[in-house]
Amino acid sequence: MDEPSNPYLPLLSRTAQGDEGAFAQLYRATSGKLYAVSLQMLHRQDWAEDVVQEAFVRIWHNAGEYQSEKGTVLSWMISIARYRALDMLRAAKSRRETSEEEGPTQEDPHSPEVALYQKRERADIDDCMDLLEGSQRHAIHLAYFLGLTHFEVCNRLASPLGSVKSWIRRGLERLKRCLEP
Amino acid sequence: MNYLTQERRNALAAEYALGTLQGPARVRFQQLMMEHRALRKTVWHWERGLNGLGEALPEQSLRPEVWERIKSRLGMEGRNDGSGNTSDNIVPISSGASRQPSRSWQWLAGLSTAAAIILAVLLVWQPGGITEPESAQQLAVVQNEEAEPLWFIEVVESAIRVRATSQLDPRANRDYELWLVAADGRDPVSLGLLPKRGTGELPRSDLLDQVEVAALAVSLEPLGGSPTGQPTTVLYTAKPVTL
Repeated sequence: MDEPSNPYLPLLSRTAQGDEGAFAQLYRATSGKLYAVSLQMLHRQDWAEDVVQEAFVRIWHNAGEYQSEKGTVLSWMISIARYRALDMLRAAKSRRETSEEEGPTQEDPHSPEVALYQKRERADIDDCMDLLEGSQRHAIHLAYFLGLTHFEVCNRLASPLGSVKSWIRRGLERLKRCLEP
Repeated sequence: MNYLTQERRNALAAEYALGTLQGPARVRFQQLMMEHRALRKTVWHWERGLNGLGEALPEQSLRPEVWERIKSRLGMEGRNDGSGNTSDNIVPISSGASRQPSRSWQWLAGLSTAAAIILAVLLVWQPGGITEPESAQQLAVVQNEEAEPLWFIEVVESAIRVRATSQLDPRANRDYELWLVAADGRDPVSLGLLPKRGTGELPRSDLLDQVEVAALAVSLEPLGGSPTGQPTTVLYTAKPVTL
């Protein structure tokens, strides 16, 4: 993958060598994206900030483990943040089962962060997403952007669990055929 | 992994990357990823594809404190951002160090990276290596981001036995310290320094019997261990399984 298609590779490569200045530049260039992904999923500023913080600590330590097979540098970094955010969502949910702890208010469609999803740019993958049926696309979007489980997607769409699972499975199958080089 | 068809493998990898593969199924899949590079590569394929969705979200500004906290965690305080003029010879007193981490610990305990653990140990563990008659009471595997095992940890009656795997690529000028994170929210308690290669034994802390263990954590430290009594940079967490 060459530089134009993977613009942060030089910065990450210098970060892997311990260059703190490059790491700072990488943070300035990409942290806003990682924060957007985290905020969209968690709907809580403090949690989303924690995700970004944890993600960049990992990126500093694991910069040398990046390889282009894992996608662009930005995509790899988003993966790290997104898995963190998923961990936090699951942990918060399991804690809420035993306590009344305040959680992300995913049910609030007016929360300002929801607008992030509506304001997103068009990405390459959207050409493939367009090939999906509406219900398939909607279910995958809910899982990706909000980190919802099958069960939560089915509540959100007021549809049977079996249908939701099948929308996601078939949607991903169709995406695969489209994404393949 | 022979019992997984290519199609099934791809479907699981897709739902893993999407996040809808959950609970025991996610843990089982992470175990398979530990063992099979082909599966990791399939997951990467999906991460590459799906994260196009996340990349398209509009950037959001972060408060400057977040970067300050990151620098503090990584021991970069007192230096500028690399535009020249670093002050390496000035050792800052890190007033932020004790202030920052508390919030992270609250959820660290629940990480499912941690959960990855477990049966894998039973599969991978080679009896006769370091375990002899004394049987393990608790097991944990510390994994890196790629779900590769770095240390196997076994709590027995009299000690904590640890084996560093060949996946571990230790830093020569740093040590790795093991911490007990209690569910009651107290500060993490050091269990000792982990071996960088081969096997080692740490003294068994009485605390293991006295508190609910939310997680074990591994931190990166200067040689000799944490200078503050608290983890400097937490790299990994793992949830021990009681046998």
